[in-house]
Amino acid sequence: MKKATVRRKLIATVILFIIGLAFLLPLLWMISSSLKKSSEVFSANFTWIPKTPQYKTYVSVLNSKSIPLLQMMKNTVIIAAATIFGQLLIASLAAYAFACIPFRGKNIVFIMLLCAMMIPSQATLIPRFVLFSYIGLYNTHWALILPAWFSVSSVFLLRQFYQKIPGELIEAATVDGAGHLRIWARIMLPLTRSVMTSLIILVFIASWNELLTPMIFLTDKKLFTVSLGINLYNAGDQDLINKVMAAATIVTMPVIFVFLMFQKQFVEGIMTAGIKG
Amino acid sequence: MLRRRNTIAGWLFLAPIILLFLTFIAFPLLFSGYLSFTRWDFVSGMKGIEWIGLKNFQNLLHDQIFLYALENAVIYILCIVPVSVICSLILAYLLNNKVYIKNILRLFYFIPYISNAVALAMVFKYLFRASGPINLVLANLGVTDLPQWFSNPSLAKIPIITLVIWTSIGYQVLIYMAALQDVPIQLYEAAEIDGASGTQRFFKITIPMISPTTFYLVIIRTIAVFKLFTSVKIMTGTTSERSSTTLVLEIFRQSFDKYNFGYASAMSWVLFMIILIVTLIQMKGQKKWVHYGS
Repeated sequence: MKKATVRRKLIATVILFIIGLAFLLPLLWMISSSLKKSSEVFSANFTWIPKTPQYKTYVSVLNSKSIPLLQMMKNTVIIAAATIFGQLLIASLAAYAFACIPFRGKNIVFIMLLCAMMIPSQATLIPRFVLFSYIGLYNTHWALILPAWFSVSSVFLLRQFYQKIPGELIEAATVDGAGHLRIWARIMLPLTRSVMTSLIILVFIASWNELLTPMIFLTDKKLFTVSLGINLYNAGDQDLINKVMAAATIVTMPVIFVFLMFQKQFVEGIMTAGIKG
Repeated sequence: MLRRRNTIAGWLFLAPIILLFLTFIAFPLLFSGYLSFTRWDFVSGMKGIEWIGLKNFQNLLHDQIFLYALENAVIYILCIVPVSVICSLILAYLLNNKVYIKNILRLFYFIPYISNAVALAMVFKYLFRASGPINLVLANLGVTDLPQWFSNPSLAKIPIITLVIWTSIGYQVLIYMAALQDVPIQLYEAAEIDGASGTQRFFKITIPMISPTTFYLVIIRTIAVFKLFTSVKIMTGTTSERSSTTLVLEIFRQSFDKYNFGYASAMSWVLFMIILIVTLIQMKGQKKWVHYGS
């Protein structure tokens, strides 16, 4: 009986391992191609490991003047960091008000945010473009950062977590003379660090991968994000393929590393957040 | 006194989000609503806005590309949503306590989800090209008439569908795994005592118990498919490809390639209405499903 379950478990593990490897094949192909000569990539006798790995390709991609990938990575990190800071600050303040401050009128704001959830950001692109052109934020990173500070799902998620904090804690702090700002900073923020971590990673991934808004709001190559950088390679022909794949590898790997580092918090965050989402 | 302090604090805490809502949601939505009744090329300035009534919406009904985008959305949803949700469920079911090294395996499925979407779309573009690895495999399997994935209109959706399913599974597996852990173990034990087989337990207990999650995932995947942009944009290049185009891609082209701001706004409102309806269905549905929850 016991032996049978062990065997079944082993078989399932092997099967899921093989499917999992198949899942990673496109990424492995990307890395493999990035290390080949461009003429090798589509050759009929395919090999996963190139005879002589061309590390030079990475050097030339990173040093390229026409597509300054390092600069673009820096830009993307700046945009992501500013987005994370603003979005989480604003969302957690709002979440605190919803969860912990009793006052009239907050239901109206809550319903307002519920309505905002039904509005796809793509439907508001044109007015945003007009607005940013008129106030001079077009072709600046602010055009990407400011709208991303508004996130209903972050507010709702944090609110859920704040609601779980026992009310006695807040009452005790109030009796001690603490104001709301202090309770928020000293009690709520420290107690919900894990959900904050997963939100940080989620927002980071989203802004690292974004293509539509940078494509619309940025025209100056010096300001480009990594997604736009890779897109510049898109027009390329077959000769470029090893470079394209090297560039693709370069922008993919940092996120995977970040994820591996924070895997536990992130997975737990999604698992608690997603269900009620 | 305390009440007044609460009111002031409450509004101050909410002020930033309200301000953002007004600037980036409410105003843009109303402004694009107004623009959808006008003809405007932006370059001519605010004075160039010309009121044309319902003309944009009438034109939409005869716009072949727009109708293709709607038709494509339906096909994308029918192909992507069931496959990606069912695969996720099966993987999550197996990953949940039916395997060793669960956390490492879970990672395999999750990596595509966090990888840069543009980079992945580029990889798929090369994988599916006429002389690419997919066709190489097919040729080795003895297929003589190799498919032209991008130039053949009836095949052009396949690379996109594959990519979207592939990247969406990781996230859904996580959500399903969480839901599966919430199913009370006593239910399974009771069923086992009654002599229910593994398959029976899966269909009679697991599926009904996690139906709220399934419903949620179907809805968010449907909405995501309506907003499809990156993968299609990268894989089909600059020319308008009617067999694979999407609503967001056409909004993008009409506004920022052609500067038809009025017409593109009308399209944006169609997108808005579609998402609105889907979300309302979700909210209605959630209430119905709620009794499964606790």
